[in-house]
Amino acid sequence: MIQLTGIRKTFGKQEVLKGIDLQVAKGEVVAILGPSGSGKTTLLRCINYLEKPGVGEIRIGDFVFDARRPGKKEIHALRQRSAMVFQQYNLFAHKTALENVIEGLTVVKKICKEEAQRRGTELLEKVGLGSKLNAYPSQLSGGQQQRVGIARALAMEPEVLLLDEPTSALDPELVGEVLAVIRKIAREGITMIIVTHEMGFAQDVASHVVFMDGGVVVEEGAPSELFTRPKEERTKQFLKRITPELSYSI
Amino acid sequence: MKLDPAFIWTAFVQLLSAVPTTLAITGVSVLCGFVIGTATALFRLYRIPVLAQLSAGYVTVIRGTPMLTHLLLIYFGLPVVVDGLSAELGLGWNSAKIPMIAFAYLSFSITAGAYLSEVVRSGLQAVDRGQIEAAWSIGMTTPQALRRIVFPQALAASLPNLSGSVIGLLHGSTLAFTVSVVDLNAKAQIVASTNWKFFEAYLAAALIFWGLTILIERITALIERKIHVYRKGGVA
Repeated sequence: MIQLTGIRKTFGKQEVLKGIDLQVAKGEVVAILGPSGSGKTTLLRCINYLEKPGVGEIRIGDFVFDARRPGKKEIHALRQRSAMVFQQYNLFAHKTALENVIEGLTVVKKICKEEAQRRGTELLEKVGLGSKLNAYPSQLSGGQQQRVGIARALAMEPEVLLLDEPTSALDPELVGEVLAVIRKIAREGITMIIVTHEMGFAQDVASHVVFMDGGVVVEEGAPSELFTRPKEERTKQFLKRITPELSYSI
Repeated sequence: MKLDPAFIWTAFVQLLSAVPTTLAITGVSVLCGFVIGTATALFRLYRIPVLAQLSAGYVTVIRGTPMLTHLLLIYFGLPVVVDGLSAELGLGWNSAKIPMIAFAYLSFSITAGAYLSEVVRSGLQAVDRGQIEAAWSIGMTTPQALRRIVFPQALAASLPNLSGSVIGLLHGSTLAFTVSVVDLNAKAQIVASTNWKFFEAYLAAALIFWGLTILIERITALIERKIHVYRKGGVA
């Protein structure tokens, strides 16, 4: 279970996260929606300490992380409990697809190379890239790179998988293949928090939807609730603009 | 004056004995300079208080003064420091026992460090921040991420500049003759003056320097070809 309590973050004078509380049960898929600048990506990056939250508590399983002046050890421990899939893929440019996936296994988890390669190959086959093991990122399409990114994150067997707009940088025709992979791993019961603009996908895959705006959680609930009967005015406006075909007027 | 083509070859053969000295000065200054340069570049990039300012000062002072001046300052300054320390602490050191080449090693390492600091810094800045974030996200520590992910890519990005600096230091190592180190250039002078054939001797020295430079260029090209496998980009 993941529990965020009172997460606050400021950039200079601007407060981007104004005390976020969020609970994610094990095996749940949480989609975070919201307009750009709402703080959703910042929140996700705080969970992995790629952004430093000023105040707040992050609890992953039985590990409790206090954001106020954490030591190097605590940061390292927090990062090992989650894995991130980036908007820009961020594959290690000088390593092949397989090397990207096994890097964490051999360096962080200290698993021997043969075993790591076996697992890495398995994961790449799972995301449909069994034939691209030795390709460098520059030789792969965006969709393929992102699928390697997902395999790399999964290899670490994180307690929670964080996905930061995983399809935003992709050509429209490549979005489908990445979403299909995410859908597949969601069904396997991996806990996920996903920041996305793909409303249809969120509605379909997420078990819980969070709508953020201006650094606060405006509304959250089951997708069937939030998408069809949003309570807050701000949520209604947002959904109307994103999905004009949904109309709430009679 | 008449050119004696045969003597070019004679000088060439005699000069070869000084090649190890030239390579040693270049090698030591490049290696030590690379360590100094990497450290100072990291201090500056990570804005480590005090050390970052000291590093920036070091780079501007050393790059702002000639390599020959560094050598002379070390040559005349170091003995004063060594003898002074020795007298103060009763160490029994004697600056006269410092081998001449040590002055060259020390001073050129300091020179190289300043130039390589900028080479390393530009290389590190060429690596996308997403690379180290990805390394952190899979649980690597910062030293692990730097060593395994950032440095190899930074090295690749700085290779053309690095090769240029190495060539510059190879040629700069000729200044060592001012402190009586017999490098290639000094050897050429000895061979020339004992035979009274200056042009031939220096021509032979030039040929050897050119040969060594081609070697550096070849090694660079070899590494570049390896890197090209993963690196696409640029305008070509």
